[in-house]
Amino acid sequence: MASLSSLNTSFSGLNSQKRVLDVIAHNIANATTEGYHRQRAELQSLGRSATSGVFSGVSQSYGVDVSGVTRAYDVLLATRAVREDASRSAANMMKTSMATVEGVFPEPTDLGLAHQLDVFWGSWTDLANDPGGLASRTQLLENADGLVTNLRRSSNDLQAISDGATARMNTIAAQVNDLADQIGNLNRTIGSSFGENLDLLDQRDVLVGRLANLTGAVARPSDANGIDVYINGRAIVSGTIVQRVDGTTGPLVWMSDNAAVNPTAGEAQALTAVINDVVPRYRARLDDIASTLVTQVNALHTTGYDQSGTTGRNFFDPANLTAATISLSIDVAGQPANIAAGAPVLPGPVAPGPLDGEMARRLAALADSATGADTKYQSMITTLAVETRSAQGRASIQEQVADNAIRDADSVGSVSLDEEMANLTAAQRAFEANARVITAVDEMLGFLIERTGVVGR
Amino acid sequence: MRVTSSMMLRSTLRDLSQGLSRLQETQTKLATGKQITRPSADPGGTSSAMGMRQDLRRAEQRSRSLNDAQGWLETADVALTSALDSLGRAKEITVRATNTGALGDPVARQALATEVRSLRSEMLALANSTYGSRSIFNGTADGAAYDATGVYQGNDASIVRDVAPSTSIAVNLTGPQVFGTAGGAVGDVFETLDRLANAIAAGDVTAMATEHTNLDSFRTGVGAATVEIGTRSARLADAKTRSEDSRLLMTTQLSEVEDVDIVDALITAKAQESSYQASLQVAAKILPPSLLDYLR
Repeated sequence: MASLSSLNTSFSGLNSQKRVLDVIAHNIANATTEGYHRQRAELQSLGRSATSGVFSGVSQSYGVDVSGVTRAYDVLLATRAVREDASRSAANMMKTSMATVEGVFPEPTDLGLAHQLDVFWGSWTDLANDPGGLASRTQLLENADGLVTNLRRSSNDLQAISDGATARMNTIAAQVNDLADQIGNLNRTIGSSFGENLDLLDQRDVLVGRLANLTGAVARPSDANGIDVYINGRAIVSGTIVQRVDGTTGPLVWMSDNAAVNPTAGEAQALTAVINDVVPRYRARLDDIASTLVTQVNALHTTGYDQSGTTGRNFFDPANLTAATISLSIDVAGQPANIAAGAPVLPGPVAPGPLDGEMARRLAALADSATGADTKYQSMITTLAVETRSAQGRASIQEQVADNAIRDADSVGSVSLDEEMANLTAAQRAFEANARVITAVDEMLGFLIERTGVVGR
Repeated sequence: MRVTSSMMLRSTLRDLSQGLSRLQETQTKLATGKQITRPSADPGGTSSAMGMRQDLRRAEQRSRSLNDAQGWLETADVALTSALDSLGRAKEITVRATNTGALGDPVARQALATEVRSLRSEMLALANSTYGSRSIFNGTADGAAYDATGVYQGNDASIVRDVAPSTSIAVNLTGPQVFGTAGGAVGDVFETLDRLANAIAAGDVTAMATEHTNLDSFRTGVGAATVEIGTRSARLADAKTRSEDSRLLMTTQLSEVEDVDIVDALITAKAQESSYQASLQVAAKILPPSLLDYLR
């Protein structure tokens, strides 16, 4: 007689549906948890007796059991999402940094260096037109001072961007070390815990994702459900062993041997590029502009004569050839009368008349020099504009790619409330049906108990 | 494809933020009135805008030089025209002095000689004409071109103004170029006038005739200088017209590259705004519903 076995079968059904319900509740509770992958109770029919029934004489028995809880996790899609998101981090950081670099040069406006160069050359023309006037000389010195100040400010602003990136890198190093620690700890916990703890796996994946967003780290599975995490091929987490990185001097280095980490993606990659490449490159171009200015102007100015017939004076300090240090020479700073507006009279050379403005005119013509500061500055701004533009382009493309990758991963792993509701309803109904079977068996048994042996009473 | 509400939320948020950032970009353009708010907004445009701005400022600079040059040439023109008059009058006086009537009358001759001397100081004043505070016939030297005795104080430097791209015009003539070189048989115009006054006073007809001839050659010289200044003025006027034209053109071109087309931007802003509002409304509609709403 299998009726008592049905009780057990239904009981297993009740139990299993309760587990299913638990998992659904867990899913709904974690619907918005970061990195959570929906879980599913895997039901398995039992071909044999669920419990060896005392009354089940017949060997054939039925039932259901929860064979395990799995998470909807596609390793390929998840890995791709992490990788693309890390690239997005890098591209976004690069875009932001380039925008900051671009912000140092307010072009095309009247506030930029181009305008100040024009004003500077224009002052030479004004001086050529009026070599005798103190006003034109003072004006020239003031405009030269403005130009020099702007060059220095630009160079310092660029350095400040690099310094800001270094400070950020410091924070990143601390975050990276912390994340690596946590991953190592989770490796230990997961390895020592009995069975699979899906939620811990999710947590660890979230940490790996964060690490990737910072450094482009990749995770590879190792033994005992552990993972090893690599940055540019070198392990930062290996099971429970964790390496540390340092960012105090800017680009990340391994603490153990001071070798460069060279992150392959993530914010650290972009910041490394800013510190090692972008800022030094544009500072070098500014330096080139400054040294061109100093050299070209001085080359003419030293051959020129001031009103008292003195020659051989520098306009800019010839020792200061970088944008950060460029300055007026001590000969002319604050001494407008010492500006050499006159050109030597050839043959001789002899000093020109005190009202000669020929040298000032030649200096003003430097504005149109094909190898002059103006040309170099314009070409620098064009390079900067194109580079910033392409950083923006890359960021917006990567945004799209990363979004798609995350969407693909989400489409497998994220909790759909509709789906959970449907499953919930199904589980609820199944629970009720199982209960109904138990009631039916109960009624059948009750019938037997009450009616058996009462024939003819 | 399996779609969940969190995915929809994510993509809706992204669309909304993209819509908003596009709108903000257009707003910035409208607020500043500039098409290019930063170099990366249009690298090509930035490059040409910078070039045009440079050209424009150079043109403004040159127009200052042009005005300065014009002042020089006008001052010279006035001085030279007056000098021509004075020389003409000196010639008339010479003719009058050679008349027999005057020749026999020492008082009349003295009067004529005085008149010649006053013409000489008039010429000297003209030769010391200034533009601003600067003597225009003095080269690059400081102070007056001629001292009271008529000795040239300046040098022979030419003064040049850049009035158009790679075009420069000399704006000065030196004293000797206009009034002759001192020393020698003829000397400059002041020496000639001196000798003429003496000859008239002395009644020396031969000398008067010689100086009359000399005066003629000076008149030709000053006349040629006037023509020279006139030619330069004409070139200057040409350059000025061209410069104004090209400045106007450059301003227009710069505005085309740099400035926002207000109508276009307004329409774009309006379109972006309504698309943003639409996505907000759609987001509000699609996000809440789920099976949850329909289950009791």
